[in-house]
Amino acid sequence: MLHSKKVRSGVTNIGCPLLFGAALVASWQTGLLHKILKTDEYILPYPMRIIDIMKENSDKIMLNVNASVKVALIGLLLGSVLGYLIAIIATVFPKYGSGGLTIVSAFNAIPIVALAPVFINWTKDVSDIAEERSMAAKILVVTVTSMAAMSVNAYRGLTELPPFSEDLMKTYAAGRLTEFFKLRFPNSVPYIFTALRVSVPGSVIGALVSEYFAEYIIGVGRQIRENILIAQYATAWAYIVTACIIGIVMYAILMLAESIILKACLHRT
Amino acid sequence: MIFIVLFCFISFPEQRNINELKGTISMIEHERNDIEIMLDNVGMVYDSADGKEVTALTSVTMDIHKGEFISLLGPSGCGKTTLLRIIADLIHPTSGNVLIGGVSPKDARLKRRYGMVFQSATLYDWRTVIKNIELPLEITHCPKKERHERAMKMLDLVGLSDFADHYPRQLSGGMQQRVGIARALALQPEILLMDEPFSALDEFTREKLHVDLLKIWRKTNKTIIFVTHNIQESVFLSDRICVLSPHPGRLSAIIDVDLPRPRTMDIKDTPEFTALVSKVRNSFEGV
Repeated sequence: MLHSKKVRSGVTNIGCPLLFGAALVASWQTGLLHKILKTDEYILPYPMRIIDIMKENSDKIMLNVNASVKVALIGLLLGSVLGYLIAIIATVFPKYGSGGLTIVSAFNAIPIVALAPVFINWTKDVSDIAEERSMAAKILVVTVTSMAAMSVNAYRGLTELPPFSEDLMKTYAAGRLTEFFKLRFPNSVPYIFTALRVSVPGSVIGALVSEYFAEYIIGVGRQIRENILIAQYATAWAYIVTACIIGIVMYAILMLAESIILKACLHRT
Repeated sequence: MIFIVLFCFISFPEQRNINELKGTISMIEHERNDIEIMLDNVGMVYDSADGKEVTALTSVTMDIHKGEFISLLGPSGCGKTTLLRIIADLIHPTSGNVLIGGVSPKDARLKRRYGMVFQSATLYDWRTVIKNIELPLEITHCPKKERHERAMKMLDLVGLSDFADHYPRQLSGGMQQRVGIARALALQPEILLMDEPFSALDEFTREKLHVDLLKIWRKTNKTIIFVTHNIQESVFLSDRICVLSPHPGRLSAIIDVDLPRPRTMDIKDTPEFTALVSKVRNSFEGV
């Protein structure tokens, strides 16, 4: 009974989106979508055409994918580590903690479009090579956008503890470091994943948008822009699809890691 | 030179000796009287949110003997949990003195002389049952093998050996609280402080745990301070009941429970038990 219920919910969870996706692609390929959206196959090329372009340009696309993913991952890592450190500092100094986090969140509300030129200016002396300068600026943008989600969520994980658990640690005469490793850190692990669910897609978007403003022309986001500028819509679409795939794959990896770590190691759901 | 040496001999050692002597005398008194916990005029005044002073507890004076089962009984707001938390050094009294085995509550806490059981089991849901019991032993750097053996012994004491590798959420509320008791006993403390540990459990589970707790107490010989608002519970379990009354929180009576031990559930049907329950009920003031 329970098993059949599980199977049924699995079918609804995976089956429905798949069916919707298939219907969308079918209407797109048959031209029905163009009629609905009142557009033509030049602005919105057929899926098969996009796939063909992706195949033809696979080497060039992979070069740009590498550049974008590198920026997204390094920025995500730096931002998450910094965000967690900020959360720890806020926990250690509770008086200033929540205020400090509000500032970090406010900083995060500044649009990437506004941040990117500032960071490009900051990093202009980092290296003589344009590619490296641009890379640093892009990573900085992603770092800032990933930092806020992690610091706010990790702070919750470090401070919203099970009732009496702090008292329990006190009765064991546990020091602050012991309390951190035995109680606060494990308690914060699910919150780290909550933050990553926001910051992983955010890091991809951050990387793509920051490429628009970078000095050195590389990356999936930049290629979308460059191709639209020269009215190569089919190629632009090939990069748009690539960007979607990057986002989906990174999110899928996160979900997999979350289910393995939370269920197997910490036995949580 | 001679003067300085003489000065050192005469003044400083003397001062130190007197302090040491005072400490020794209080220690000897404690040992001779078999007193584990001494409360002298303990009071607690809070500052409320609107800046007014709220008296949570006023002038509590009493001694608790080694191996005794004491209940702190009273309605909400009588300061019973406050008193327990003062003994546990989780809060500091605003007046009076507390001595635990001749030392301050803080020293007793740092020496890990008591284990505490809270209203909820407070188990870490990312640790298995056995790992939860091992937690205090990990903190005190007990070797891994010994840690496991001691934790298993405690688990056996509370009758949950078969559940060592389960996670807390796979256990019932009563079982979780038994794990909490096992964890509190893991460091082999002299005192067990229990803050309404069974209040969230159903009547059937609670009665079973009462009998279990008395068995554990008999086997381990701990001093137990048990906070409760349930009169029958306190009469069934305790050697003495400290009745606390509210507004302001104060000790209004100490009642000896001279029912024979070991106690079983049948004792609740005896006229002696009923008489004690009404005696305790009548001792409340201003409720």
